[in-house]
Amino acid sequence: MTEFVWKIGGEAGFGVMGAGILFGKVFTRTGHYAFIYPEYPSLIKGGLNTTQVRVGDAPVNAPSKTYDLLVALNKFTVEACKDEARTGGSIIYDGKNTDLTGINVREDIQLYNIPLLEIAQNAGGDMLMRNTVAMGASLALVGYTLDQLDVMIHEIFGRKGEDVVKINMDAAKGGYDYVKAHYDAGKFPIKLEKRRMRESKFVLTGNEAIGAGAIQAGLKFFASYPMTPASSILHYIAAHEYDHNIIVKHAEDEIASMNMVVGASYAGARSMCCTSGGGFALKSEALGLAALAETPVVVVLSQRTGPSTGMPTWTEQADLRFAMHASQGDFLRVILAPGDVTEAYMHTQRAFNIAEKYQIPVIILSDKFLSESAATTDSSDYKPLPIERGKMITQHMQPLPQGGRFKRYEFTEDGVSPRPIPGVIGGEHVATSYEHWENGFSTEHFETRKKMVDKRARKINFMANDLIPPTLYGPKGAKLTLVCWGSHKAPVFEAVDILKKEGVKVNALHFSCVHPLHPLAYELLLKYRKRLVIVENNSTAQFGGYLKEKVGVQFIGSILRYDARPLFPEDVAEHAKAILEGREKDAVVYDRTPVEYYTARIIDTKEAGKGLDKPLGESKHTIEVI
Amino acid sequence: MATVNDFTPKEQPQWCPGCGNFGIMLALRNALVKVGAETHNTVVVSGVGCSGKDAHYVRTYGYEGLHGRALPLATGIKLANSRLRVIAMGGDGDGYGIGLNHFVQTCRRNIGLTYIVHDNAIYGLTTGQTSPTSMKGMKTKSTPHGVLEEPIHPLALAITSDATFVARTYTGNIPHMIEVFTQALAHKGFALVDVLQICPSWNKVNTPEWFKTRIYDLNKEGHDVADKIKAYEKALEDVHSGYERVPIGIFYKVDKPTYEDGLPQRKEKEVFEHDISAINMEKTLAKFI
Ligand SMILES: Cc1ncc(C[n+]2csc(CCOP(=O)(O)OP(=O)(O)O)c2C)c(N)n1
Ligand SMILES: [Mg+2]
Repeated sequence: MTEFVWKIGGEAGFGVMGAGILFGKVFTRTGHYAFIYPEYPSLIKGGLNTTQVRVGDAPVNAPSKTYDLLVALNKFTVEACKDEARTGGSIIYDGKNTDLTGINVREDIQLYNIPLLEIAQNAGGDMLMRNTVAMGASLALVGYTLDQLDVMIHEIFGRKGEDVVKINMDAAKGGYDYVKAHYDAGKFPIKLEKRRMRESKFVLTGNEAIGAGAIQAGLKFFASYPMTPASSILHYIAAHEYDHNIIVKHAEDEIASMNMVVGASYAGARSMCCTSGGGFALKSEALGLAALAETPVVVVLSQRTGPSTGMPTWTEQADLRFAMHASQGDFLRVILAPGDVTEAYMHTQRAFNIAEKYQIPVIILSDKFLSESAATTDSSDYKPLPIERGKMITQHMQPLPQGGRFKRYEFTEDGVSPRPIPGVIGGEHVATSYEHWENGFSTEHFETRKKMVDKRARKINFMANDLIPPTLYGPKGAKLTLVCWGSHKAPVFEAVDILKKEGVKVNALHFSCVHPLHPLAYELLLKYRKRLVIVENNSTAQFGGYLKEKVGVQFIGSILRYDARPLFPEDVAEHAKAILEGREKDAVVYDRTPVEYYTARIIDTKEAGKGLDKPLGESKHTIEVI
Repeated sequence: MATVNDFTPKEQPQWCPGCGNFGIMLALRNALVKVGAETHNTVVVSGVGCSGKDAHYVRTYGYEGLHGRALPLATGIKLANSRLRVIAMGGDGDGYGIGLNHFVQTCRRNIGLTYIVHDNAIYGLTTGQTSPTSMKGMKTKSTPHGVLEEPIHPLALAITSDATFVARTYTGNIPHMIEVFTQALAHKGFALVDVLQICPSWNKVNTPEWFKTRIYDLNKEGHDVADKIKAYEKALEDVHSGYERVPIGIFYKVDKPTYEDGLPQRKEKEVFEHDISAINMEKTLAKFI
């Protein structure tokens, strides 16, 4: 794969994330694939925000540890990111505003000193438009034309009027022309060409895919309370509430939102909520309510670095056991952990079918890494799944005899009972958080209690066709099998590719249905049992422990990361090799960058505000969010 | 037309003899008949407490949810299908203690729910601890030396939270309960009915004898239900008068658009009624190109 890794960095509030999506789309529209990976601290202004855009001629779903070209919007970005440059990599900076004295930049790195601010101002823009200038300059370096960027600018700013469009286009052209006039762009080591596209491509984040998947599945009621990194699901669905007749409620808290979702689902609407760990804790009680009353619900849990408030804008896979065991009592639930954007779309649809067919809670387990990264995907992969609503009853029945109740919890072979929704004549019953008789009326009758537990539990025996088997990836004759789940599919699969190129045969097993396990999971794990290595983004190998318990397998090693960033393919490859060669057993990956550069670093207000019409104010950019 | 018998299940309620819940249950069944409710289009939602059992004893659709969470549960049901008549039930601990946030939020939301609070000023089901409406100084199992806090004033709280129907009734006066419930059920928007309730087992202070000399019907004294400030004063009268006078009746009522009225999503039909078998995502997905 030929690839080009572009990275842009600056303080929060300078549109670094938006620039990433825009730049990724320019290449997507011209036949490439892009993976757009943002990193940012829990600040509204200040700190260091970066977005990496990894462009390739085949699908990319993981970030790279290194870049070819960095756009540094301030000095600090250079300081923090210079060492991530590939050999012969380049950095664009604005020498008029960024003084690099005292910073040791490696000799192989090519510096492009481009007056980003001046060009932006000459075009009629301000500080915020330096991104656009830099994109123009970057396109000149890789030998691209500006036409696709111009098209995008039209689409984005068209509504704001022709002036705004023109200023942006002039800014891009200014950057482009500056490179052509002052540098030999031909020397830039990477050249990209427009490629023919066989079908249209979509660029979307994991959260957008979950939101769109839910809409595709017929979501009609959504109640949530904001919490990073789940909030953008709320924003996405809210933006479409009129288009698709969905009621969206920003509830007073997660307890309310979960109970509202239970209520709306009981009344016959497909319902969902989203949250992160702290909110999930508050939802736990009503998760159990849904389980006992057998009301279908779909809950998205997008994990961030915990425990407690943790590091709100960073990633981790450490809520797996929490999702598995949240709420009191024994009950069946399904946990789907999509591995990429397309899986997020498809599995969200599956979640609704499973929830309604089996009348159980289904949890979609994402994390900051998947939720907020965007990828180019083939539009043909976004297929609607048939809607399966199970034993829901919406047609009137015979009226019940006076005083009678419908047997809502009738003992059935598959454990699933008919579910009339309110409004249906003859379906009158009570659903309850108490243990109950078949007609819903609460009871403490021991035998009935036991039978109800069995009824709810035996649904699992009928579920196999709705669970998702793990994906096996890699060459035959592999000497090591890397086991991973959820968001870490691509970093691990790519590690397999890296090693294959080096002649090292390793394969990988990815789980997007982490609980319960698909029957094939047992088969594959047992087949490769002698050489399993668990790879997870947490400190205790939570999924590994689960597999030990359920399947009885042991792991010969582990690769874990819990410094709040995801595992990168290069790291997985390196440590897999070390484990294979016996140099290592349990590897822990963490970032050793000496500068504490992303987190809560206060950028000098004077420097940050330079060139802005409105200075950023006296807050020193430390307004805490999240 | 449904009759009281239609709202009466076969099962017998199991509250303590003399419990105010019996009266509330009977009054609600009667009020439902009076407003022409149907069993299949009515949902009684409750929290957990002695009060929570109403979802069982009024034979309609019902959902006995979690302690303190009747209102959000009822809200979800109402929003999914606003044609349903949704009645939320709960205790004073349930609604004014653990669920207080939902109470204030639901008031200001003005969603079309009837909320009946069984206010016995005690935690009944958990065998007699203090509740947010227990009088200052009251000795309970959890406050053996007397409650140190001032009680919550639920009606005043509802009025300042922009509830559109605020009333109080008393389990010792069943005709009054039926009348107030009927009006609450007929109200478009959120209706709070705080029911002063006898708890013969655990509340030995606010007994029928205690109420007898104090309670009066403020609507018989020419109270103007449209006067918010007056209503607020009346809502505090029990405490301000040193519990000399405890008013019951309709305190405040105003007609306002409901939360549901602001949702064009459900203009054409209720959201749950939409055919979801073939949702067209073409335009929505095209935004990702
Ligand atoms: C989360 C939670 N906490 C505590 C309880 C235990 N509990 C059940 S009912 C109740 C209080 C009941 O008091 P109130 O709401 O006034 O209802 P009453 O029984 O007096 O009608 C409590 C604390 C519970 N069921 N759930
Ligand atoms: Mg009580």
